[in-house]
Amino acid sequence: MSHSVKRGMLGLALVIPSFLILFVVVILPILYAVQESLIDQNSGEFGLGNYIRMFTEPAMRTNIIYTLNVTLVSTVIALLVSYALAVYLRFGKGWMARWINRLYFIPMFVPGVIATYGLITLYSNHGWMARLLLLIGIDTFPKIIYSYSGLLLANLWFNIPFATMLLSSALAAVPNSVVESARDAGASSLQLFFRFILPLSYKTMWVALTFIFMGIIGSFTAPFLIGANSPQVLGVAMQQVFSNYQETHTASAMAVFMFLLCSVMGYFYIRTMGQDLDKQS
Amino acid sequence: MGWYVRSLGARKVMEFVVLVVFVIFFLGPLLNLLLLAVSGKWQYPAALPQSWSLEWWQFVLTQDDVLESISLSFLIAAVVTICSIIVCIPAAYAFARIAFPFSRWFLFSFLLTHAFPKMGLYVSIAVLFYKFGLMNTFVGIVLIHMVNTLMYMTWIPSSAFRSVHRAQEESARDAGAGPLRVFWKITLPMAFPGIMVASIFTFLASLDEAQGTLLVSIPDFKTMPIIMYSIIADYPSTTGAVFSVILTLPTIILLLAARRFVSADVLAGGFQVK
Repeated sequence: MSHSVKRGMLGLALVIPSFLILFVVVILPILYAVQESLIDQNSGEFGLGNYIRMFTEPAMRTNIIYTLNVTLVSTVIALLVSYALAVYLRFGKGWMARWINRLYFIPMFVPGVIATYGLITLYSNHGWMARLLLLIGIDTFPKIIYSYSGLLLANLWFNIPFATMLLSSALAAVPNSVVESARDAGASSLQLFFRFILPLSYKTMWVALTFIFMGIIGSFTAPFLIGANSPQVLGVAMQQVFSNYQETHTASAMAVFMFLLCSVMGYFYIRTMGQDLDKQS
Repeated sequence: MGWYVRSLGARKVMEFVVLVVFVIFFLGPLLNLLLLAVSGKWQYPAALPQSWSLEWWQFVLTQDDVLESISLSFLIAAVVTICSIIVCIPAAYAFARIAFPFSRWFLFSFLLTHAFPKMGLYVSIAVLFYKFGLMNTFVGIVLIHMVNTLMYMTWIPSSAFRSVHRAQEESARDAGAGPLRVFWKITLPMAFPGIMVASIFTFLASLDEAQGTLLVSIPDFKTMPIIMYSIIADYPSTTGAVFSVILTLPTIILLLAARRFVSADVLAGGFQVK
């Protein structure tokens, strides 16, 4: 056996154990869900009945549009804020930047249930925020929890730290010399951002976008505890269809639909990353 | 006030506003829980608790199922972390250093753990577990927790291995060290921060996992997040706050202990192939 074939076998042997677990706990269940989704909930026949119903039933259509709306709006805002924060952390020098740099990791590691619970106690009708605002004479507090804005807040809370982390690592790689010479040449801050910083961190932005999108679209805990009763995001609607109505096939179809949306993002992600690998080898 | 602001400059004021908004938004919910956990009486519209008390701590810490859930959760998290390390680190090394067929397919297949909605995945897993007799078993819980950890445990260490300079490994080889020795003495220590961060992620993800556990662990295995769900539903909000603090404590301690290793670069490297 040639050396490279031996190395190849070794590589495969090292990867097989983790791939086997992936196969059992992820790939097999996905295939099973796809199969389930193709069996019509009402007639029991093989076909696209569940999918057709999903897009024609008014309540479900509202849920889909609502989910896409929440996901896209949260993703875009999270990305913008993270970019601003990352740029600030990259170029900010004072003690305040240092403190933010130390603190922004924390939300990534706080258990989801607890963060959601904290958000509820802070922003509920008679919550701490309402009481603090009362101190400075503001006695009208908008309905945040159990509404669209509460969901938005939760999504931002969970995703901004992660995206900031990715982006600030990318910005750390932007050489100071590039920034300084652009400044010397008279570039304004905006020009600097759009001509140098954005192109140099563009790929990382895609990574952040992919993971934020995937994280939000299928999320369950936060919308389940914070979201409105109707319309619902798909993650919650799916759980209800499954456990309240026992409609396994309908629930599977919803899961597969979300998976397809994520796959589109995943495709672009893999394509971008693949190009990098090609360049390397 | 005006002269003070001017002397600081608009830039500093802006920075300060950013810091305040940041702290309120990200730490406010946690601070609120902390206050609630040590409050005795805190009724609307008081901005701070009217009386302080630790009685709910006593209540929570004397519940048998709470104490059991804490030790169970830590046991599960430790087992999940060890299993993930054993299974994933070899793969991570292979992705970083060895050219083998379909390596890219294998590498990106781990993205599937995040691409399929978790709830849907767990439901399908539960059906499969039912067929294989894995429902309500320790093995089943460890497996369902690994759904969340496989990607971190493979990608982050892989990027760490990739960032070890080949030249260093090669010069050790030239000095006569065998491949295993080079791995133990050179590659592994240099990739250690990445492995450490991935392990922390894994440990905390397992500690935090509730949805999947809820589906496959009924009725015998009650982990901390599962107790948390029932506490939120059945007890006054102070109890929930106390339990939240208990659940968050390991996170804070682990993060402080491993602060040296947790950096944006190490983490970010895991999510992009560079």
